[in-house]
Amino acid sequence: MKYGLTKIAGALLAAGFALNAQAADITIAYASDPISMDIHEQLSGGMMQFSHMSFDPLVRWTQDLQFESRLAEKWERIDPLTMRFHLRKGVKFHSGNDFTAKDIAWTLDRLKSSTDYKGLFEVFGSAKIVDDYTIDLVTTKPYPLLLPMATYIFAMDSKFYTGVDENNKDKAAVIKFGNTFASGHLSGTGPFVVKSREQGIKWEFERFDGYWDKQSPGNVDKLTLVAIKEDATRVAALLSSDVDMISPVAPNDHQRVKDAKNLELVTLPGTRIITFQMNQKSNPALQDVRVRQAIVHAINNKGIAKKIMKDFATVASQQSPAGYLGHVPELEVRYDLKRAKALMKEAGYEKGFKLSMIAPSDRYINDAKIAQAAASMLAKIGIKVDLKTMPKAQYWPEFDKCAADMLMIGWHADTEDSANFTEFLTMTRDEKTGMGQYNCGYYSNPAVDKLVNDANVETDTEKRAAMLKQVETTLYNDAAFVPLHWQNLSWGANKKLDMKPVINVMEFPYLGDLVVAE
Amino acid sequence: MFTFLLKRLVQATIVMLVISLVAFAVKDNLGDPLRELTGQSVSEAERQAMRTEMGLNDPFAVQYKRFLINAVQGDFGTSYTFNRPALEVILDRLVATLELVFAATLIIICLSIPLGIYCAINPKNWFSKLIMAVSSIGISIPVFLTAILLMYVFSIELGWLPAYGRGETANWLGWESGFFTLDGLSHLILPAFALASIMLPLFIRLVRSEMIEQLSSEYVKFAYAKGLPQRRVWYVHALKNTLLPLLTVGGVQIGTMVAYTILTEKVFQWPGTGFLFLDSIQRTDTPVITAYVIVVGLIFVITNTIVDLLYGLINPTVNLTAKG
Amino acid sequence: MSQSKHMSLLEVQHLQIEYPSRHGVMVAVKDLSLSVEAGEIVGIVGESGAGKSTIGNAVIDLLSPPGVIANGDVFLNGEKISGLTREQMRAVRGSKIGFIFQDPMTSLNTLFTIEQQMIETVLANEKVTREEAYQRSIDMLNAVGIPKPELRIKQYPHQFSGGMRQRVVIAIALICNPQLIIADEPTTALDVSIQDQILQLIKTLCKERQVGCMLVTHDMGVVSSVTDKVAVMYRGELVEMGTTSQVLGAPEHEYTKSLISAVPRSDIKLVRFPLVNYIEEAEELHQLDIANHWLGQSQDQKEYQGPLLKVENVNLRFTTKDSIFASRREYVQASNNVSFEIFEGETFGLVGESGSGKSTIARAIAGLYAPQSGKITFEGVDLTALKNEQARRPIRRQMQMVFQNPYTSMNPRMKVADIIAEPIRFHKLAENNQQVEQIVADLLDHVGLGRKSGIKYPHEFSGGQRQRISIARALATRPRFLICDEPTSALDVSVQAQILNLLKDLQDELNLTMLFISHDLPVIRQMCDRVGVMRHGCLVEVGDSEQIFTSPQDEYSKNLISLMPSFENLSKAHLQIASS
Repeated sequence: MKYGLTKIAGALLAAGFALNAQAADITIAYASDPISMDIHEQLSGGMMQFSHMSFDPLVRWTQDLQFESRLAEKWERIDPLTMRFHLRKGVKFHSGNDFTAKDIAWTLDRLKSSTDYKGLFEVFGSAKIVDDYTIDLVTTKPYPLLLPMATYIFAMDSKFYTGVDENNKDKAAVIKFGNTFASGHLSGTGPFVVKSREQGIKWEFERFDGYWDKQSPGNVDKLTLVAIKEDATRVAALLSSDVDMISPVAPNDHQRVKDAKNLELVTLPGTRIITFQMNQKSNPALQDVRVRQAIVHAINNKGIAKKIMKDFATVASQQSPAGYLGHVPELEVRYDLKRAKALMKEAGYEKGFKLSMIAPSDRYINDAKIAQAAASMLAKIGIKVDLKTMPKAQYWPEFDKCAADMLMIGWHADTEDSANFTEFLTMTRDEKTGMGQYNCGYYSNPAVDKLVNDANVETDTEKRAAMLKQVETTLYNDAAFVPLHWQNLSWGANKKLDMKPVINVMEFPYLGDLVVAE
Repeated sequence: MFTFLLKRLVQATIVMLVISLVAFAVKDNLGDPLRELTGQSVSEAERQAMRTEMGLNDPFAVQYKRFLINAVQGDFGTSYTFNRPALEVILDRLVATLELVFAATLIIICLSIPLGIYCAINPKNWFSKLIMAVSSIGISIPVFLTAILLMYVFSIELGWLPAYGRGETANWLGWESGFFTLDGLSHLILPAFALASIMLPLFIRLVRSEMIEQLSSEYVKFAYAKGLPQRRVWYVHALKNTLLPLLTVGGVQIGTMVAYTILTEKVFQWPGTGFLFLDSIQRTDTPVITAYVIVVGLIFVITNTIVDLLYGLINPTVNLTAKG
Repeated sequence: MSQSKHMSLLEVQHLQIEYPSRHGVMVAVKDLSLSVEAGEIVGIVGESGAGKSTIGNAVIDLLSPPGVIANGDVFLNGEKISGLTREQMRAVRGSKIGFIFQDPMTSLNTLFTIEQQMIETVLANEKVTREEAYQRSIDMLNAVGIPKPELRIKQYPHQFSGGMRQRVVIAIALICNPQLIIADEPTTALDVSIQDQILQLIKTLCKERQVGCMLVTHDMGVVSSVTDKVAVMYRGELVEMGTTSQVLGAPEHEYTKSLISAVPRSDIKLVRFPLVNYIEEAEELHQLDIANHWLGQSQDQKEYQGPLLKVENVNLRFTTKDSIFASRREYVQASNNVSFEIFEGETFGLVGESGSGKSTIARAIAGLYAPQSGKITFEGVDLTALKNEQARRPIRRQMQMVFQNPYTSMNPRMKVADIIAEPIRFHKLAENNQQVEQIVADLLDHVGLGRKSGIKYPHEFSGGQRQRISIARALATRPRFLICDEPTSALDVSVQAQILNLLKDLQDELNLTMLFISHDLPVIRQMCDRVGVMRHGCLVEVGDSEQIFTSPQDEYSKNLISLMPSFENLSKAHLQIASS
């Protein structure tokens, strides 16, 4: 048996880790599995989860959103445009190749050529290799988010991915649509090697014998990842011990998981904000800040979080969740029907008006129900809402056309940074820069635009935080959008899994460090 | 016989054409595949470029013509999510679906025939009345509920059977199936019963009413008059005549069961075509959706043809050459 | 029991059969005693509901539920066979008593070969090997006159014609050498020519093998041609029993008398059937002053010179097997160059066996089928040339049809009065609704239903009454020409007599012209002035009916006429014989 070796290795290591238990086999069920083995093919939650299993980034987020060393042992800013990373020595890829600075340079170039990442890495120039274990990442302008972006740089085995495959195609190719070498072959430095994969059904991982992080307490030897789309089935599989861990746990099932003797439920406040945008272009009434204020005051987002989300959401007054630079704790949740009515009257709409609203029905948790609740809340201040909900497949094309007066959208910042919300949701739409790409509110405030642009080149964290807080406050006062809540995250697992230390608000558990008790 | 098959082939082709046209016509309403393929920060211009590259911006007629030309060569397009030929993806999953349908069919046959006959022979027995009562309730319970209920009782409460998935498979004579392993069978039981539950009440009633009708027919009376023992009259004469209409109705129903698997597969996360289909709809994987609809249509036509052929084999009065 | 006394082969004593139901007990057979000797054929005759079939079923304990033998015993060869256990009874069935049912198609299982069905019978009743059973089957098929039995035994029932199938059924009934056969209407479903063969076969086999036979039938012709004794049943009671010649020639019971007088005779033509006392459901016909009544005041002038209806070289074929290739299609020629004429006021009969094309011609005349070639002219108008419904409408009104089974042509949700009024309203034959109601009431009276029956629905009537309704409806357009397609085939003989009388009366009153279609030669003889004999779509002979019946020219007609049951032994009392 192969894991015999790991056992011995584990036993040797046990000297330092009294708790380090024996190797364990576990099965984890998510709602879906990654669509490819090429981590650059798509930027998605599932892909990030997978990236942290089979690859390692330069640095990674800690649970309190600080940075933790991975392939980069340490890093230092050399000048406003350059950050130097000292790489870990003795790291091996699954293929057996040694990890060097060349692999980071190669990976960065590949990221810059991938559709989903090229926007995020636009500010990066080519990396400068100082020596085999030192590399400089250079940006075209001072870039405060260099470290957050470094969490996306998962070293890929440049030797392994160089050359041509049996179809005479470049092994490095990253194509969304079409079969590539990288989508079916893998060599990373991560804790788990992919043993087999049935897309849409299950992935089987085995711990990588040569994993560099001997400090990791993780003792999972075999890990099976299955996709169980149906909420009820996923919970049933956990309750019947067919799987050891699931995520997410549907709000309705929380109590059942809590009640089960051998199970544990962990929820974390998430970072995905759910909002309504108010389209100032299609409905002139929404151009009046008082009307927007009235709407924000009329929608009882606290009630929504409590009743509809069953407390499985953190009620929001702004875009940035706590822990983000731009988060302003002072901004209070506004729900005040009287005030809302007064504002309507002030704006000359005491008789109300009509507006159209669209929302997806299968994208966010309880999305359609939330929209219905919001519509009936608006009715109380005389706004007649013509609501249409639809499956996400049909919703997005409608959203792209900004085809309603109020539109639901949720957003998670890929950079885990406050500016990202504004860049996509509330900055002035600009085809050239791509800013405001999802701004169907057509909210446009030059001051906000400037603040964000400045913040994006401000490397001083203090100053930058002030700017981003200013942005949130302005958006709050202008009622640029209707904040609802941040969706919470949930995991359910067998108690023998020590889940808490490895999960995080980004929703990519570091499963390599997971400890399973016998 | 030849004419019959030729006619069926022509019919099938027409059916397939119509299905493909409909599938193709609605695919644009299923949403934008690019949205599922790309991350949120990808710009609209880039999406547009990809759409053009994938030929999604071509006029309907051009796309359809391209589809038809490829389809004739067996190429139904490449799945956006699997990056493999859509047909291949479906055929891979079809094994699991057919396995499920096969198991459900076995359950239906093994339960409906004895129970239906029992009810027909002992109409006044309390057990018959119970069966009929349960089956009339069963007819109105949605499969979704049955599935959840089964799962709750047998997986969660009793812990006897796994709640999801297909389990281990083994290969026997080139057939990769869960039938040949204990684990595979234990995974199969719940979904198969859930799927069977849709049609079981119907089949019990069908067998019962057919059997009752046969038992009151002249030839049964004549068989008694000939001095045949009751068992032979029931289980040889009446039964064979009962099974004949069952074959036609049942055969077609079992063909449609391939489509009924969707909900069952969804609940039990059974890796078959129905589940794939739902997933593809959610991911706007139009090549898979189109190919699925066509494959299912083809299965309908094939099962109908097989049923007709079998009917002709069993019923001596049917001459296939004379059939339209 | 008086075991000491000599017992017949079959002895039925004080048999009482009851059908208990929620509405009380229906007594199907009341205190019946009769006996059958070996080699003797005893006819049990009666009309529907007389309980005659129930007797046969009771003897072998195959009463359909909830029927029970309430009283009485059945003895076979002195042994009591009533009240046996299921297994004991099974030993009687097949091996001691054979059974022949009415319809050979439904009594054989379509999914098994003749071989399977014969051999299982032998094996179920006797301890013999399969080979012996097979040999016995072949011998038996030979005995019932099936050519090439080795070949045919491998076939399925549907590969046999009706007559051949009935031979198979007889072979199965006799294969275990029973002492008694019960034949329940064994020839009713068969054509005349085959009927006679089958009856002769049963007779021969019974005599040869000294088998007793209980022959249940409604047909006096059958009784008169094969039975030795006859038992007449009426409403569950045996009213008269004796030798056939005695009962038919000199009936004693009133019911037997009226039954016999209602039989359409093949030997003589009657003016009218004498009114049958024993038949209910018929009210006295109300006489109308036809000349002054709406019914007699048709707008059609009835002085057309020449034949009213002329059928010229009509050809009509149906496709039996379709194919994309014309050369591989198969047809049946339902009407092959048929020509005849019908004159004003006469009744023209079309006679022939099933499949001879007689109904096809009728439907072509009524415009339900379009002939491939040929002409049909009515009062000089070429019907085949009429292009649209508008042009056909006046013809439709003048030409009405009466079908064999009127129930299927009536809307079950309409009241009878509305069914009859429908054509009057459609063709706008009355001035107002009041008049329509009056006419409908008169019509109902006139056909012997009574005006009160207008508010009922079709299902509330018996077969004979329904036929009256359909006649009333046909009359409601004041037609000149009536097509009657087997109008009495589904009716009991006494009811048939009434309906035929009614048609005759109406024809006299209204000077109707009739096309009368029937497979029943005696009925044709009673009804028609002239007759055409059809066979395989061809009209083989046309002539005055008395001439056809007394000296047919065509070979086929000769054969057909010769096969008619002779009624020479039938009583001729109270009959008005038409002088020709």
